[in-house]
Amino acid sequence: MRCVSSWCRGLGAIVLVVGLENVAPAQSDRGPTSAGGASSSDAAADLKAPAAVAEERAGSLDRPAVAASAAGAGDAAEVAARVDELLGEEVFAQLGPGETLAPRASDEVFLRRAALDLIGENPTPAEVIAFLLDETVDKRARASEQFLAEPRFGHNWARYWRDVIFYRRADDRSLITAPATEEFLAEKFNQNIGWDLIAREFIVATGNIRENGQTAVIAAQDGMTEDVTAEISRIFMGVQIQCAQCHDHPTDRWKREQFHELAAFFPRVAVRPERLGDIRTFAVVSDDRLFPRRRMKNDGRFGQPEHYMPDLNDPESRGKLMTPTFFVTGQQLRLGATDLERRGTLADWMTSRQNPWFAKAFVNRVWGELMGEGFYEPLDDLGPDRPCSAPRTLEYLAGQFEAHQYDIKWLYRTVMSTQAYQRESRPRRTPEQTPFLANCSQRLRSDQIFSCLMNALGIPREMLGGRDPGNRFRNNGPRFLFSRVFGYDPSDPRQEVTGTIPQALLLMNSPIINRMVQARGRGGELGRLLAAEPENEGAVVELYLRCLARRPSQAELEVCLEHIRTCSSRGEAFEDLLWSLVNRTEFLYRP
Amino acid sequence: MSLQLAHHVHAAVNRWGVIGRRHFLRNLAAGAASLGLVDRLALQADELRRQGKACILLWMQGGPSQFETWDPKPGHGNGGETKAIDTSVPGIQVAENLPRLAAVAHELAIIRSMSTREGNHQRASFLMHTAHVPVASVQYPAMGSVVWKELGSPDCQLPSFVRVGRRFPNSSDGGLLGTDYNAFLVPQAGRLPENVQLTTDQARFQRRLALIDRLEAATTGAEAELVASHRGLYRKASQMVLSPQMKAFDLGQEPDAVRQRYGESEFAAGCLLARRLVEAGVVFVEVGLGNWDTHDNNFERSRDLTAQLDQPFACLLQDLRERGLLDRTLVVWMGEFGRTPRINPRAGRDHYPRAFSAVLAGSGIRGGQVIGRTSAGGEDVVDRPVSAQDLFRTVYAALGIDADKENMSSIGRPIKIVEGGAVVQEALA
Repeated sequence: MRCVSSWCRGLGAIVLVVGLENVAPAQSDRGPTSAGGASSSDAAADLKAPAAVAEERAGSLDRPAVAASAAGAGDAAEVAARVDELLGEEVFAQLGPGETLAPRASDEVFLRRAALDLIGENPTPAEVIAFLLDETVDKRARASEQFLAEPRFGHNWARYWRDVIFYRRADDRSLITAPATEEFLAEKFNQNIGWDLIAREFIVATGNIRENGQTAVIAAQDGMTEDVTAEISRIFMGVQIQCAQCHDHPTDRWKREQFHELAAFFPRVAVRPERLGDIRTFAVVSDDRLFPRRRMKNDGRFGQPEHYMPDLNDPESRGKLMTPTFFVTGQQLRLGATDLERRGTLADWMTSRQNPWFAKAFVNRVWGELMGEGFYEPLDDLGPDRPCSAPRTLEYLAGQFEAHQYDIKWLYRTVMSTQAYQRESRPRRTPEQTPFLANCSQRLRSDQIFSCLMNALGIPREMLGGRDPGNRFRNNGPRFLFSRVFGYDPSDPRQEVTGTIPQALLLMNSPIINRMVQARGRGGELGRLLAAEPENEGAVVELYLRCLARRPSQAELEVCLEHIRTCSSRGEAFEDLLWSLVNRTEFLYRP
Repeated sequence: MSLQLAHHVHAAVNRWGVIGRRHFLRNLAAGAASLGLVDRLALQADELRRQGKACILLWMQGGPSQFETWDPKPGHGNGGETKAIDTSVPGIQVAENLPRLAAVAHELAIIRSMSTREGNHQRASFLMHTAHVPVASVQYPAMGSVVWKELGSPDCQLPSFVRVGRRFPNSSDGGLLGTDYNAFLVPQAGRLPENVQLTTDQARFQRRLALIDRLEAATTGAEAELVASHRGLYRKASQMVLSPQMKAFDLGQEPDAVRQRYGESEFAAGCLLARRLVEAGVVFVEVGLGNWDTHDNNFERSRDLTAQLDQPFACLLQDLRERGLLDRTLVVWMGEFGRTPRINPRAGRDHYPRAFSAVLAGSGIRGGQVIGRTSAGGEDVVDRPVSAQDLFRTVYAALGIDADKENMSSIGRPIKIVEGGAVVQEALA
């Protein structure tokens, strides 16, 4: 009987919900459609000294930020259409028996997916409702545009790349750089600085590692020549040339010598202890002194004037002198060049159009995260000898990315405009099945889950702080501690990332979460909802919107109402319900 | 298409009984070969699981002085003020700081010839937890995660790798084996780990779990596999929380006499907890004792630390022996490196990876012996150097684990549990 009426009753609740939004202070700082608009405590507004330094640097580079949206949505739509066309030609032309393209995802699914992908958290109930009621044809593009314009966009992806870098750290102490790296990247992403300029800053970085987030790749590897080399190649080109570090790889074209020629761009990089006031820290420096010193310990404290490839038959000998040479293009720099000359030159060559892997690596990452599967898998393992599931499509999209001056927001806008992105999700395919027939559910990253949890439980961000205002280097706020349980290396194949026991225990039994689930007492948010919404159905809808950014299905609604009937009190029933919603599978996955 | 993609995917039941996907062999040929190997090892591993082997690692964070513990040099200037005492084994002496351990020397294989190249805490700590130096491209798993994977029993409702203590920097974790092999943390022995106590009564907890099930059953969607895996995980997590085995974490269950026998310190509580966890079926427990980084005031600080170490360690061995557990439990004592022979102007000793000590006891180990020898002043290993890889091979051999077994890195590169090195045969029983 209730199929239609439940929709209406849902909408009834919705109007009330929008009203609630405006009275609940905890919700007021979220989202473009809410009235509050004050930025959250962990948003870019907090940026102080490190950001100023970074800005100076960016200003000194020869090209300003990519003009915001200059190319316009029209261009993105055209490119997106061509991407779909190419996929149709090279991937979908011959489908296996029984295979079909997934239909277009519903508006609810699209909005949650887009919000998680861009701002790293669920849309608010008010945003969901406004979106569902919106009848204009371009509402999906506009929603994406709004999310792209938010500071949370920069933070979401800054956290992603922070994890890409620091999950491969050689030394836990380098985590002192992570907050500055997040700030550095958030600002760059929000200003829409081109990816080539951002990559350059990482490659040529110097300075104190607590203050200069762009030192991250070098700091995470303690300045060790071979490891820095491997990571620069992996992160910015998706080429795992370090496999050739010890021997020529049978299935790879890059030779051992080519790895060490690349390493010859980094021998003068050093990471030294330094004090910043009372705080012990490290600095990335150029060590251009010409008298080689022996490395007493295996650390990167001193640079070497040149890089030598170890002789495998005689490890104690000095090895073979390497001339800095970029393996992709064969371009060569002279011996004796200074550190910054070496790194600056490599940055030029690596980000030039002659190097296809630079654009492809970034496009593959973004596509992989947005689609649930990259053209190349794993996302950081590209190369001429790796299988690519849609080479022409990638070639085209990477070419366009390059032509748009590595405009990051343009790329998101474009991918999210494709039909491919907007399809329903299906379970991860098997190797025999055709790729990209559907989108694919992704397990959320720790930061996304944390933000969703805060929103679902109505925990105000102020309460959690983030950083200690007295010490902007502190890195042990609740978000960080949460990541010790829920974090994973975003470069790892996503289907390998499964839930763990401590994660389940935290969501089930955390005293903090359970305090916030209380209908009575100091937590307050659930109590407030129940007081404002006397109708059970309306309150259920509201909880669904807060936790899962969708309305309950008819069957779910019936389960909920039945549960409420069997409980001794309304408060108890809704506590159970809220607990169940944040503990269910869907809460942890992007649709 | 599948040949071109060259991925091999197969579903597997992991130790929690959860269906998950394990995959990634770059080509089918390699896949077939590796699967054969995996199958063979799986058979072997089942045999080992039946034997119930376990390992306790006593981790001495900071790098303990060998001179003040297992390799005293009383006649030499480098030995400082530390004297040597006789042990239960004629001809073997240890530092006077370890009287109780001296009395159980017949259980110990003391390796005095450890030698590595890593003199910084971070790299050395990683090396001595994984048998590999840290590199960006491969996330080597910790010893505990390897042992969990190889020996963990599906019957154990507790996580099979537990770390007891507050901080284990640069000690690795599940790494390429996956986050589900990460250590389960118990920051303080005697206190329950985080989030293992229900916040409601049990009936209501069950009701909530049932509500999740009903809601998920009512959801139409294509994510049945994810839901099944999530449900399996929650079943395991709630089984664990409600399991009688959880009592293992509660030291209050032990008679006072036993607690007193181990001693008062936090490390003592950690050793007692380790024994209780092994009894409950946990296969790897790491107990930390920190602050061995004695750059100044080495002798007094070492005395203080050995006082925390001596009684619990000795008691752990005796207790395991009396309970018949020592035959199936390997106990490893080590830190990331040793300390300099030269005593610095602050009466301290600095980092010294070139010659230091480690100790093995219990399962598979021939006790009552010293392996290797350092020079009169302790500067060099003069007999039978033992590398980190040698030590790990010996540990794995004692546990019956094939150290040449390969696991796949995230980009499908086969990585041996230990690369290089050789078993220290004389250490084995």
